[in-house]
Amino acid sequence: MSILTWLKALKALTRRRRDEDDLQEEIRAHLAIAAGERMADGADERSARLESLKEFGNVTLTTEAARRVWIPWWLDALHDQLNDIRYAIRALAKNPAFSLAVIGVLTLGIGLNAAVFTMVKSIALTPLAGVDGSAGLGVVFGETNTGREVDLSYPDYKYIREHDRAFSGLLGSGLITASVGRGEHARPISAELVTGNYFQVLGVGAELGRTLLPSDELAPGRHPVVVLSDGLWRRDFGADPDIVGKTVQIKQYPLTVVGVADPRFHGTIVSYDVEVFIPLMMAAQLGLENTPLSDITTDRRTTILNVLGHLRPGVTFADAAARTGALWAALARDRPLTDPALRLRVVPFWQAPGSAQSYILPSLTVMGAMGLLVLVIACANIAGLVLVRGMSRRGEIAVRLALGATRTRIVRLLLIENLVLAVTGAILGVLLGRRWIPVLVGYIDTLAAPQRVFFNIEVDSLVIAFSALVACGSALLFGFVPALQSSRMDLVSVINEDASPRAGGRGRLRAGLVVSQVAVSLLLLVGAGLAARSFEAAQRANPGFDATHVTSVAVDVKQIRYDEARGRVFYRQLLDAARADPGIESATLAAYNPLNLLETRAQPMEIEGYEPSRGEDMAFLSNTVGADYFRTLRINLLAGRPFEERDDETGAPVAIVNNTLAARFWGGAADAVGKRVRVGGGDWRTVVGVAADVKYLRINESPRPYVYVPFQQSYRSSMILHTRGSVSDATLVARARAHVVALDADLPILSARLLGDEARASLLFFNFTAKMLLIFGMTGMALAAMGTYGLVSYTVKQSTHEIGIRMALGASGLSVVRGFLARGLRLGAIGATVGIVAALGVSRLLTGVLFGVGPTDPVSFVRALALVLGVVAVATIVPAWSAARTNPLSALRHQ
Amino acid sequence: MTLHSSRPDARTDLVHGTLDMLILRTLQWGPQHGYAIGQTIRAQSSDVLQVEAGSLYPALQRLAKKGWVTAKWGQTGANQRAKFYRLTPAGKKQLLREESRWTELVNAIGRVMKAAVAPGTEE
Repeated sequence: MSILTWLKALKALTRRRRDEDDLQEEIRAHLAIAAGERMADGADERSARLESLKEFGNVTLTTEAARRVWIPWWLDALHDQLNDIRYAIRALAKNPAFSLAVIGVLTLGIGLNAAVFTMVKSIALTPLAGVDGSAGLGVVFGETNTGREVDLSYPDYKYIREHDRAFSGLLGSGLITASVGRGEHARPISAELVTGNYFQVLGVGAELGRTLLPSDELAPGRHPVVVLSDGLWRRDFGADPDIVGKTVQIKQYPLTVVGVADPRFHGTIVSYDVEVFIPLMMAAQLGLENTPLSDITTDRRTTILNVLGHLRPGVTFADAAARTGALWAALARDRPLTDPALRLRVVPFWQAPGSAQSYILPSLTVMGAMGLLVLVIACANIAGLVLVRGMSRRGEIAVRLALGATRTRIVRLLLIENLVLAVTGAILGVLLGRRWIPVLVGYIDTLAAPQRVFFNIEVDSLVIAFSALVACGSALLFGFVPALQSSRMDLVSVINEDASPRAGGRGRLRAGLVVSQVAVSLLLLVGAGLAARSFEAAQRANPGFDATHVTSVAVDVKQIRYDEARGRVFYRQLLDAARADPGIESATLAAYNPLNLLETRAQPMEIEGYEPSRGEDMAFLSNTVGADYFRTLRINLLAGRPFEERDDETGAPVAIVNNTLAARFWGGAADAVGKRVRVGGGDWRTVVGVAADVKYLRINESPRPYVYVPFQQSYRSSMILHTRGSVSDATLVARARAHVVALDADLPILSARLLGDEARASLLFFNFTAKMLLIFGMTGMALAAMGTYGLVSYTVKQSTHEIGIRMALGASGLSVVRGFLARGLRLGAIGATVGIVAALGVSRLLTGVLFGVGPTDPVSFVRALALVLGVVAVATIVPAWSAARTNPLSALRHQ
Repeated sequence: MTLHSSRPDARTDLVHGTLDMLILRTLQWGPQHGYAIGQTIRAQSSDVLQVEAGSLYPALQRLAKKGWVTAKWGQTGANQRAKFYRLTPAGKKQLLREESRWTELVNAIGRVMKAAVAPGTEE
């Protein structure tokens, strides 16, 4: 609409009042003149006035018609709309019980959807807080031909960055766990080691001081600086305004603070609250846990970088993939790779492999669909209420129709009433959603403790727009059919006060509402049941180890700058002290917890006598463990022996493989013992034992090859102390901690909890999905029960007369109830059938989030069916019974 | 022809145009107020055309918007206040156009109605 049109409209508006007064006066003058002429002809004043008015006709209609000549149609419509809204609010306020019920149901329905949408938004639409257009970021990574994702090494990243033309900039970052502070009071934090262009590529500024710059990426070890997150600056330094230039201890290494990042920014790893940003050039000093102390600036096998950037305008992901692919081919020619054949892939940020977004999105999609179904039930529910209310408003609507209102106008008025309700519901729903989400995130946070989690769950314009859309959609859904029905009424019968219920249309509509609510709630309950069953299955599933009464205490002796010799002594003393403790049965070391969710780096392996086929992915997950590891975690040994103290740096190099690896290369556990392997390019190691398979990353993973090497033959600074004991769990953790502190009070304890708690985090997604779907299912069920109850009791009330007659004629209360029950159950059965067919059709979509149950699990289906039919029965019997107990005489007298 | 309707949107363009023409014609003899315009049309059509106020006033607004008439408050002969409409030069031109169009239409209809032989009755 042009500015000129607006100006004209404005002018029309301002002169409108004046014009209307003028027109009113003109009409008064007209009437006065007409009356004057009649009086001159001898009529008395009263009849003259009346006659003139009658002759003139409808004053309001004339005024409106005249007004329309001047006012643009849309402005006129807007004016009408405002009037309608005002009227709607008045009408709704007159019936607060109805309005509150509708708003309550809508608040619940829209709130659920707003909450799920906010989560989707936080993961896919605006995944990185404080970064504009973060959904459009592209991620560059390597992929083996078995589909295993590999990060990029610094030299490879740098080559791509220098030659690439598809991205407007490419940053590299590696996530590490660090600590801030000293000794036992050190707090574990997430840190990103980043390239110098990190902040520029993201477009993130500094709140204080400066961000990191390309000049912070010149030479290894020469940039001991750090940018703090706003959160860390406030929590640990009390928002000290003079923080810039001060020294902080990160992993007990002194770094100079050069700035504090934009308060909205929380790093580039979804679900992690990254608290410090350190130049990648400091990697050797700060240490990447899984990486040997090589020079990352030249070592192409140290693949540590997540690489991302914004695509240049007009470049698609396919273009970018083609261009980086060509670069990669050129690079492979120039400097042949030592790794198995890799290809580069470019995907949108939300598809980044191994990321939280790729784990959570499938569950969220299911939740989103379920949320919409709850809303559908809510709408069917409200449609029932609106329908019933429409019956009691028949008089009013009949009068409006008689006064000349068009049907379109009546439908519009009723729809606006619904819209007013829906918008109110949406506002409350968004507020409710805002309260729910932090609760959910807090729940995730406790599972992830002590590290902090962060999701970009701010309620922004996207969430508001979504909720508004949902509100309008639901207003149409629940309001349109009843409104149409109301406007199509038979005027004569209403005016004659013919209140006898007509069979036909309206009854069918009510039945349809019951059927649809039953069907959809059955669908929801099947989904919830499947999710709950897979959570049970995941909890029951045997992970291959026994986590009860086992601790997991993580330390990294590099944080207090122990070299390898001192580190070996430290761990030796730690194990000796723990084993001497009478409360501890056994103690051991390990590099990783089992079921640790995060993809630990796979090690390239060679099997003696086995020639890998071209491009075969020969990199497998591995763990570095101490003696007694298998006994402490109660992992069965299928053949051979466990690691022993003699497997030290002077002993013969040994390894233990898991059953899957043994079966793949040697045909079975028994044949594996004595064979030789090389892990990560080291010495040839003799396989001395075969361990049973364990769930290494996730409870729902399929068996994967795995190899263990003894700690003493493969030193790492960062290890986990596992102790098993019969004392109480809290004591066990406290003692394990105490042993660490007794050895060196300066050593930060990165985490100290029960192994069971660590493992529980890996069930998080099942747990979370199951709980959410259960909430959705129960909400849907409750709504459907309310709706069915309401509609049945309305039908019963309408049939009071009929019941009265039947009971007066000798029918028993029981037979009356039976009649209604049969009708109710018939509708319930139709709904249930539709629901089951639909559930069978769509539950396959759940396969990705299910574990241990099929999508057609009969137990879930039967439970849902029983629950739904039970609820329908109760919702039918209760109103029918109360009707049957009324005195037949009073029921008859009513008419 | 009764220009009566309770539903303003049901009026056709033909009726609109014709009513406009009648009003302009009435104003040719000098300024008049709304009631008088209605009465004049009624009298001159020997009570056949009764202009409803619901049609008359929107029509007057329409003509004023197009600039064919101007309005001004004044006194009637009986010393009552009324709004008088006056034809503008543009309105006069419009009236001439409408008149010739109307004459053409009436002649055309007349020719059809007076035709002696019905076409296509040979077979």
